[in-house]
Amino acid sequence: MAQSFPEDVLVHVFSFLNCDKDRNAVSLVCKSWYDIERSSRRRIFIGNCYAVSPEILIRRFPDVRAVELKGKPHFADFNLVPEGWGGYVYPWVVSMARAYPWLEEIKLKRMVVTDESLELISKSFKNFKVLVLLSCEGFTTDGLAYIAANCRNLRELDLGESEVEDLSGHWLSHFPDNCTSLVSLNISCLVSEVSFSALERLVARSPNLKTLRLNRAVPLEKLPNLLYCAPQLVELGTGVYFAEIQSDIFSNLAEAFLGCKQLKGLSGFWDVVPAYLPAMYSVCSRITSLNLSYATAQNPDLVHFVSQCSNLQRLWVLDYIEDTGLEALAASCKDLQELRVFPSDPYDAEGNVTLTEQGLVAVSEGCPKLQSVLYFCRQMSNAALVTIARNRPNMIRFRLCIIEPRAPDYLTLEPLDTGFGAIVENCKELRRLSMSGLLTDRVFEYIGTHAKKLEMLSIAFAGNSDLGLHHVLSGCESLRKLEIRDCPFGDKALLANATKLETMRSLWMSSCSVSFGACKLLGQKMPRLNVEVINERGPPDSGPESCPVEKLYVYRTIAGPRVDMPGFVWTMDEHVSSRLSRATE
Amino acid sequence: MGLLVGGGGGGSMHSMVALAWDSGDDVCVHGVGMLVIDQMLKAHVWLQTSDGSILQVEQEVAIFCPFICHEIQSGTGSSKCYPISLPSRVNPPMLSLILDYCRFHQVPGHSNKERKSFDERFVRMDTKRLCELTSAADSLELKPLVDLTSRALARVIEGKTPEEIREIFHLPDDLTEEEKLEPIKNTMDDPRIRLLNRLYARKRKELKERERLKNVEAEAERVDDRSVDDLLSYINGGNGDFKGTTTSKNKKKNRRRKDHQKTAPLNCTSCSNGTSSSSNSVDISKKESNEMDSVCNNPMVHSNIWPNLVNTTEFLDSGNARFAPEEFDDCDLDDDIDPALKEEIDREVADFARRLNSDWPERLQEILSVGSDKNQLPLSRNENGTSRRFRGDQLQK
Repeated sequence: MAQSFPEDVLVHVFSFLNCDKDRNAVSLVCKSWYDIERSSRRRIFIGNCYAVSPEILIRRFPDVRAVELKGKPHFADFNLVPEGWGGYVYPWVVSMARAYPWLEEIKLKRMVVTDESLELISKSFKNFKVLVLLSCEGFTTDGLAYIAANCRNLRELDLGESEVEDLSGHWLSHFPDNCTSLVSLNISCLVSEVSFSALERLVARSPNLKTLRLNRAVPLEKLPNLLYCAPQLVELGTGVYFAEIQSDIFSNLAEAFLGCKQLKGLSGFWDVVPAYLPAMYSVCSRITSLNLSYATAQNPDLVHFVSQCSNLQRLWVLDYIEDTGLEALAASCKDLQELRVFPSDPYDAEGNVTLTEQGLVAVSEGCPKLQSVLYFCRQMSNAALVTIARNRPNMIRFRLCIIEPRAPDYLTLEPLDTGFGAIVENCKELRRLSMSGLLTDRVFEYIGTHAKKLEMLSIAFAGNSDLGLHHVLSGCESLRKLEIRDCPFGDKALLANATKLETMRSLWMSSCSVSFGACKLLGQKMPRLNVEVINERGPPDSGPESCPVEKLYVYRTIAGPRVDMPGFVWTMDEHVSSRLSRATE
Repeated sequence: MGLLVGGGGGGSMHSMVALAWDSGDDVCVHGVGMLVIDQMLKAHVWLQTSDGSILQVEQEVAIFCPFICHEIQSGTGSSKCYPISLPSRVNPPMLSLILDYCRFHQVPGHSNKERKSFDERFVRMDTKRLCELTSAADSLELKPLVDLTSRALARVIEGKTPEEIREIFHLPDDLTEEEKLEPIKNTMDDPRIRLLNRLYARKRKELKERERLKNVEAEAERVDDRSVDDLLSYINGGNGDFKGTTTSKNKKKNRRRKDHQKTAPLNCTSCSNGTSSSSNSVDISKKESNEMDSVCNNPMVHSNIWPNLVNTTEFLDSGNARFAPEEFDDCDLDDDIDPALKEEIDREVADFARRLNSDWPERLQEILSVGSDKNQLPLSRNENGTSRRFRGDQLQK
């Protein structure tokens, strides 16, 4: 019946399938659908750039317009992945330059991007529109100059939180005068000053500009100029929010904000002077997203400002907000969906702010739509976690970071097993969980039993034995990413659940007890996994087989072992022994 | 919804003019008399479907379809003798539906909300008809209707597994295992693994049954450690002894491992891995089910461990490393699934096992063969706890 469909009708039906999962399902239905789907697929998401090669991608999908790639594992954000590990985008750009001349979008996360890559991108794709570089590194402002100069139809340039070598601010001036297509510009990670007049002219000639995130170097006094050029802005990242207290600066600012009727999101706020916060009051009631994670403002200014934003859906804030601020938040922001509270001084054991578990409990009680939490604090109790779990069964992402490793329930001195157990038991839709504090194997038993929708789990300084890891690997059916550090997990659970690893994207284990022998066995027996040992102190076979490896990264792949590994990374496959013995000669 | 069907008008016996009004409206716009006059005044076109039947339709409705519009412009359709031949994908019921659609939408007076509401009701039909309608609308080049039905079909597809989609659209399962594996899969929903799990869950139950009949003494060891040890026995030499008892070597290892749980793994000799355990695989099943039942009753949980154990059991018990489809046909498990469904699942499982045999034996053999090479294990220790250095060439493939 469906066979009598002309192909273009089927393509039309598929075009309404938005998520990758559905397109993947469609491609597995039968031969003809596989073929139709692959030739009509325009957007590709590759969660691990080493799971597949550019050649395989191009062979299967001949006409792709948007590619999203992720490189280093998530724990790279905590400096656990050594410099030079990998994640180079250049080979991808070279292949795609040949195969996809109509490519429009490249989105990268945690990848190494060179100026060469940026130049090649700018010159190879005539219709290039979107470049997003999140947490990337390896390029300089010279590379950005190529993008600015050559991408005639550029709509989006987002540098995320990348590390850019700032050679000069002149790159912005490379946008040609006839470039009017910008919709989104995020340069917040850049350090050096860009030419303000060039920026102003660029903003003024971009009538479609919706998102503008400035870097710290843009002075507050000049912000009104930009706002007047772009009253249609929906998302604004201020530059430094500091200036001497002068009434005309304030009034200029307030008037400029008054004109921004579409503004929904705010960020920036470096070195914030609380006296200037009220200048934004006119837009507060429309704000749905507020990122104050760089704002060193304290209460009462801070909480007063946040409470003005009654339609707030997403708040990122420092722990200066304290419990009192969170209680006020719970009372005034009933639409809140996502809360992230970052530590103002993570290395201070005592902490000088009164941010405890009470703040989070208050928000969980007062905000019925709360579904995503990232919370840094210094004390937690099982009772609080149980309360939070009961309040918010709709929780989807729950990441709790108690700053001191292995901190017990501060009231009872017991492990926090019960608390996290309540979270996984009540929050049946939980997709992401990060745990901290004192945790035994029991919490993993709860997780294995209840967390059936869990996709990503982060564990540190937890557990007693392999049974903990075994519970997770055997119980969490939806698990895709597992990252573990400093836990007493060894070989048994890993080897017993070897086949599970092929159903996941990746597994990271650092400072655990997995032996070199087990890694070798795993690598040899599972050809569709890349088992990579990271040992900076020397080759893993310099000690006995039973010696634990420093770091282990296992991921499924159809591209075979990597060829771009640095000296401290070894792939465990059938050739590993001969490679190692050669290397040590 | 009321439907007034009037015949006559223009003298044609085949014309079908339908006036429909919602029961919410208070009055029917035309009386029958007016209807006849209207019909005489309006222009009509004649359409012929591939089965030969001819339909007379108001022109203003029919020309909503670009195909018909073009045909009229080239001169056909103005009389019964020269009807417009519609493409073969348009059969009479589909034509009727399409004309209903056109009839509503060609009226300029409707608001967007009304149109949207009509559309939502219009596409509520079974998937087969939806497909036919999409196909027919496409051949008549009626883009808005193609969009509407395509979106509806996309909603049918959303969230479904490949098997479900295959079933709904009656499509053949003609991709090979290799082709299925090759795609860039970001999905966790590997149908192969799911079927495997089901297969193993049933096998496990069977073993449990067998176990109850046997006379095996239960070990009262620390249950936690025992089960994990057991799980690994296949890797490190699980074909040791088939009796019920575990060796004292095993017990010693467990205790040693417990002691070292809390210390930092800097001292390499304290690292415990790979017990060259000779524990009974049959024993495992009982222990396993006792321990794991307390952890979780979900067969899916068990089945992630069991793939390895079940293979071992197969291998050891029958001396035959391959899955024999016959094994599963003999399963008589009380699953509280209704018999018809159970039969279907059994068939599916048996069929899957057959396909598995043709694809996986090499890989399975590799995994299984480690268990058979007790003397050449890479991780085995001698009694003193020091480990032998691994030599890659010793490992038999």
